[in-house]
Amino acid sequence: MRAPALFAALLLGACFATQVHARKNRAVPTLDPVGTWTCVVYGHPAFGDELVLLDVARDGTVRAAHDRDGEISPWVGLTSWYVDDATMTFTDPHSGRAYEADLTFETLGGRWRTPTLLGGWWCSRGGDDFAPKAEKAKLESAMPPLLPSFTATPIYPIKAIRDAKQGRAMSCFFVDADGNVVQPEIVELSDEIFRAPILNALARSRYQPLPHAQALRPGCRSFLFRLEPLAGDASVLE
Amino acid sequence: MARAKLIGLIVSLAAGAVGAQPGAQPGDQAQSRTVLGTNDLLAQGAEEIRAGQYDEGIRHTSLGLAQATSINERAAALSNLCAAYAAKGNPDQAIDYCTQSLALRDNNWRAYSNRSYAYYLKGQYSKAHEDLDVAASINPEGRTIERIRGMINEKSLRPSVTMEDHR
Repeated sequence: MRAPALFAALLLGACFATQVHARKNRAVPTLDPVGTWTCVVYGHPAFGDELVLLDVARDGTVRAAHDRDGEISPWVGLTSWYVDDATMTFTDPHSGRAYEADLTFETLGGRWRTPTLLGGWWCSRGGDDFAPKAEKAKLESAMPPLLPSFTATPIYPIKAIRDAKQGRAMSCFFVDADGNVVQPEIVELSDEIFRAPILNALARSRYQPLPHAQALRPGCRSFLFRLEPLAGDASVLE
Repeated sequence: MARAKLIGLIVSLAAGAVGAQPGAQPGDQAQSRTVLGTNDLLAQGAEEIRAGQYDEGIRHTSLGLAQATSINERAAALSNLCAAYAAKGNPDQAIDYCTQSLALRDNNWRAYSNRSYAYYLKGQYSKAHEDLDVAASINPEGRTIERIRGMINEKSLRPSVTMEDHR
């Protein structure tokens, strides 16, 4: 009679320990997503890079306004946002994109996906007065064009060449008024071996200064590391 | 001297006469040493090649080869000559000896590895890869094999980084 009770107690204890352990391992969100954001949404083959204003409200609603052909659209409601395990999610029912943001990053951004496409987005915090009613100039001052003045190429790690490793990565960052790349984050990385060269290259890269920028300007850069056989293999020529 | 040491690390030597027995592993050397006396010249040649004294090693190994009585001894001696010539930067002779060795014993990973290095020296990277693949299939744990593969990749692959701004 005692044995089943003991077993049940042990089982309960094990379940509790598992839950505590799982809770301990959970990522803790460090970013409050509430506010207005100026974002770059990239990765759509037809639309290219899109400039989007995003308004995330405390009551769980999200609105978006797009800059299309110089016209800023009215606010469009998206689905409610919610956070699970430091991942914020919401969906744009018009485009069908499901957005995900990692709230352990220093700024709002992450991936979006549809059943057939995958892309990313990256935002900087906008002022309180951002609204679609603002003229295009307003958005342009918030999102001035990013023009590279010096693009440093990452060094292909020699160990990656020896191990025949190829890979890809996406890094998002901000550009300050002087054109410096600041707060770079690797949002997608196929192999850790490429992290350091990417960050080194970004630190050396420069954009043209943004003297009238009101805030840090978000930007992203993708990297493709590839290895191709050299044509000089003598065995081919024999 | 440093180069000799480096090459010594790359080429794979059979320890005397029996190191080239089928599927021999690096850890088998201790076992091999117990029977080195069957052909002291081969053992001495192997030590000299390992020490970077290639000409002496080739001389003693060639003498040992003439006295070799078993197929294993002959295959090991030929593989060692291949290693020595490859280390000396003479890939054509190395390939010839390795091929002779493999004709006697076709499952000696050291001979494939040595011939691969010789092909690498000639810039024949496809053939080098082919031999390395065979060597790796016989001895998957061979660190020498991975080292040579890394050297081949370094010479035969052209790295490129493509970047695209999303702004």
